[in-house]
Amino acid sequence: MNVLIVEDEKSLALEISEFLKKHNILCDLAYNGIDASEKIAVNLYDFVLLDLGLPDYNGLDLIKEARKNNNEASFIIITARGAVEDKVRGLDLGADDYLAKPFALTELLSRINAVARRKFKVSTSDIVLGDFIVNIQSRKLLCSGTEVDLTKKEFDLLQYLLLNRNKVLTRHQLYEHIWGNILDDQYDSNFIDVHIKNLRKKLNLHAPAPWLETVRGVGYRISIEEKE
Amino acid sequence: MKLKLKLALFNLLSKLAFAGLFLLLMPYIVERINLRHIDNELILKREQVISLISEIGIEPFITSDSADAFGSFNILKEEFVSLEKTSLTEDVNQIEVASRLIDDEEIDYRVLNYSFMVDGQTFLLEVGKSLSSILFAEQNIRHIVLLFLIFIVTITFFVDVLYNNLLLRPLHSIIKKLKKIPDPALFDKTPVRTSTSDFRRLDSALTELMENINSLFRKEKEITVNISHELLTPVSVLRSKLENLLLREDMDEEIQNKIEESLKTLHRLQTLVNSLLMIARIESHQYLREDTFSIKEVLQDIIMEIKPIAEDSGITLRKEITDELQYSKANRSLIFSMFYNVLNNSVKNTPSLGEILVKCNRLHGNFNVEISDNGIGMTEMQKSRLFSRFKMKDKSSSDGTGIGLAIAKTIADFHKIEVSVTSEPSKGTKFSFIFPGNS
Repeated sequence: MNVLIVEDEKSLALEISEFLKKHNILCDLAYNGIDASEKIAVNLYDFVLLDLGLPDYNGLDLIKEARKNNNEASFIIITARGAVEDKVRGLDLGADDYLAKPFALTELLSRINAVARRKFKVSTSDIVLGDFIVNIQSRKLLCSGTEVDLTKKEFDLLQYLLLNRNKVLTRHQLYEHIWGNILDDQYDSNFIDVHIKNLRKKLNLHAPAPWLETVRGVGYRISIEEKE
Repeated sequence: MKLKLKLALFNLLSKLAFAGLFLLLMPYIVERINLRHIDNELILKREQVISLISEIGIEPFITSDSADAFGSFNILKEEFVSLEKTSLTEDVNQIEVASRLIDDEEIDYRVLNYSFMVDGQTFLLEVGKSLSSILFAEQNIRHIVLLFLIFIVTITFFVDVLYNNLLLRPLHSIIKKLKKIPDPALFDKTPVRTSTSDFRRLDSALTELMENINSLFRKEKEITVNISHELLTPVSVLRSKLENLLLREDMDEEIQNKIEESLKTLHRLQTLVNSLLMIARIESHQYLREDTFSIKEVLQDIIMEIKPIAEDSGITLRKEITDELQYSKANRSLIFSMFYNVLNNSVKNTPSLGEILVKCNRLHGNFNVEISDNGIGMTEMQKSRLFSRFKMKDKSSSDGTGIGLAIAKTIADFHKIEVSVTSEPSKGTKFSFIFPGNS
């Protein structure tokens, strides 16, 4: 996948690209609207991460231009403005998703993956986790043939950890992913602990799950050996 | 006391005072007028008698052989004239009130005494007029005047009240305009219709004042929104940098923990800024209110969210949802957030083995949601600043900014939902949400 990051805050653009490159996503950078407009016209991107607050350009116009030229790129809007009208207008113009600053990089990855799944209709293969098998498409967790009954939140947690496997996710990152920004002010690290505890309990009823690790002081991680 | 009532009372009292004074003075004045009138009449009579005597002499009245006195009165004893010889040396010419015995009847008369000399003999002339008819007339007049005054006072009082009402109507509409507004932005700017310049000035001054306040509020909100935006970008940069650092595999545990600590602090900043932004946005009506949804479902969703947390802390979460409301012209995610914040607050303030009850019913036509717990409760002081921003009840809890209830209150105000809290230390707290009647 290749992505154009349109962001006037250089250091943020660089951090995003550093993170995405680690996940094998090719990144191109544009620090202003004119630059971005040119690059979108010339190159074929799968994704455009678009900051609406550009100094020289109304970010929404970039989407309009791209649509006029039958550009197939998916737009994910990033903005600190976060005003509701912007969000609605952006989505109306055909943006695929919307992220308010500041966001977790892992959340960005999860959104890109979700849009990619919809867009390319890729069927992700089943993921093997010790004695468990996770099927992302059907949102099912199986253990030697029997389904482990998980709540929506528990599966979301598992999926998010899995997407960022072998990386530590902080409780706040997990919380944000599951509860979104609207309940941000009620963030309570206990919430995630309780759900992880419940998830572990359910897993342990079927088989031990040593791959779900607690990283002391930081958060949680799923560790699996990647077979390449 | 209302201005209208005060004016009416003053009106009534002043009228009664004037009427009373008039009633008090009237007999005296009327008497004086009557007496003067009678006196003039008596003097006229005297002149007539004197001129008659000078014409025909004294003899027809008093002969030397007959009695020394002459008297004449009409049948009704209204008037009399008497003439008698007297031995008085000094001149007499006076008018007085005196009673006279006529035919065994004592009658009050206004009597004129006049002495004159004829042929070296002094005579005393008395002309009298009865006062009884006058007294009678005076009484009648007094009754009539009293009735008239009562009539006038009553009529003018009611007319005054009506006119005052008419006159003060613009003032009432101004007061009504002021009463209706929880927010200066909602002040009705249409001028009150009146020909009274004072009210016009009051109305325009108020409108101007409201506009000023409103523009100040708007500026304050704009500043909040702008500052928040400006803060969010650097927070975003810092956050991405720290998160990227955390992904490095060559880090020892200590550095990892330090980064996580920094991230936590950053999250607190982010949460704070976002909360302020959210409140400012709600208050400046940036959220749309066009969802229609079931309150029951929202509550059930929230209970499902919170249940694992509550159960983990050993708290029983019960629901008694007897009535349902299809809430329209509202913002679902805001309403969700409102109830969620309050319920979450209850969970945080209820110790293990406590109980939280979510109740939902219709009272007096109003839809009503209650969230009550038997947790630690609050003192009056804590309660009074419950909804104010950044005043956490318990500083020991590291999570959250204590702004959740302030947000809940802002959301409730935005939807015109009435929130009330009853609480007692160590007994528990109850939040009631009364939805507007027409919803």
